[in-house]
Amino acid sequence: MKTLLLKLEPLIWFMFGQGILIGTILLTGWILVVGVLMPLGIVDPANLDYTRAHELATASLFGVIPLGQLILAALLVLPLWKGAHHIRSLLVDFGGGERDGIVGGLLYLVAIVGSGMGIAAVVGL
Amino acid sequence: MSSTNTGEAIAPTQKTIIITRFDPDKDEVPRKQEYSVPCEDNWKVLDAVNFIKDELDATVSHRWSCRMAVCGSCGMMVNGEPKLTCKTSLKEYGDRVDIEPLANFPIVRDLVVELDGFMHKFEAVKPWIKRAKEKAEDKAALHDTKLTFSQSAEELGNFKQFSMCINCMLCYSACPVVANEPDFLGPAAIALGHRYNMDSRDEGNAERNEIFRGEGTVFSCSFANECSEVCPKNVDPAAAVNQAKFEAVIDWAKGLVLPSPSSGGSN
Repeated sequence: MKTLLLKLEPLIWFMFGQGILIGTILLTGWILVVGVLMPLGIVDPANLDYTRAHELATASLFGVIPLGQLILAALLVLPLWKGAHHIRSLLVDFGGGERDGIVGGLLYLVAIVGSGMGIAAVVGL
Repeated sequence: MSSTNTGEAIAPTQKTIIITRFDPDKDEVPRKQEYSVPCEDNWKVLDAVNFIKDELDATVSHRWSCRMAVCGSCGMMVNGEPKLTCKTSLKEYGDRVDIEPLANFPIVRDLVVELDGFMHKFEAVKPWIKRAKEKAEDKAALHDTKLTFSQSAEELGNFKQFSMCINCMLCYSACPVVANEPDFLGPAAIALGHRYNMDSRDEGNAERNEIFRGEGTVFSCSFANECSEVCPKNVDPAAAVNQAKFEAVIDWAKGLVLPSPSSGGSN
């Protein structure tokens, strides 16, 4: 498992890096909007009602590129890889290096399953 | 005795300096020894250790040389933190100062640590300018200094920061990955390899990136950022490691779609 992870490390780190980008910028903005600005009445909840959210999620570029679905898929998938890789690194820093192969494998398996579910949900919109 | 700007003398402050002692011929494990030292107001931590060595106990062993944060030899743990002792003011600490050898390194004697592993890690990243193959202009440059690999200020700026490392090893002492994986290539070596990868004269990127994709190299870094926190020369090795990761990913992706380039000569 450790050898497989080593081979896939560039891909895993790429997903992790993109997850950091999504997690720190877009998700922070999302939490700000729905968690703070909307309860305070600064943003009108009607802006995010189902119909409008569905329109945003299924919006396409030039009628060909499913931009909304791509963005939504990225929002669902990439933070999972960020989380998995962060937890793996944290466990290694706290002395779990010997079990890194199996623990890392399990964490990424969760990320793969979660990514598959997220993509399936987005494709089904 | 030191003095103020007005020439008024300041009396030395008595501090207890606790030194880790270890004699491999006598001790099984390191032990602590306390010294009462009259510390001048303007002393660095290294001055106190030198005072102990010169005036109180000549058997204390430690490394030092330049006393101006250039040689990188006087790195020690001061109250549990890796510090360059010639650059660290003693005034920052209270009455008791605990001085230990750098963490994450085998102890040779007292405050002196083993350097061999560290040096091997440096060699591993091929820290010299590699040319893919000897070129006509390389030969010409040997005889005409005007042709010698000129660089723009911008090209120099790409790597200059990473070339300021003085090999003090503080980053290895602070790194949680080194603590858990002693074979981890480590911040300074990766920063040095990346420094050459960023050098416009160098053509060894593919070779170094292959090393960087191996076990115990850039992807083992958990980005705790401790290396950059303790670096006395503001090299920011954590940034170098992350940039090296990105370069290694790009190189890996290129390798999936492009034929591998010929490595050429071995210089």
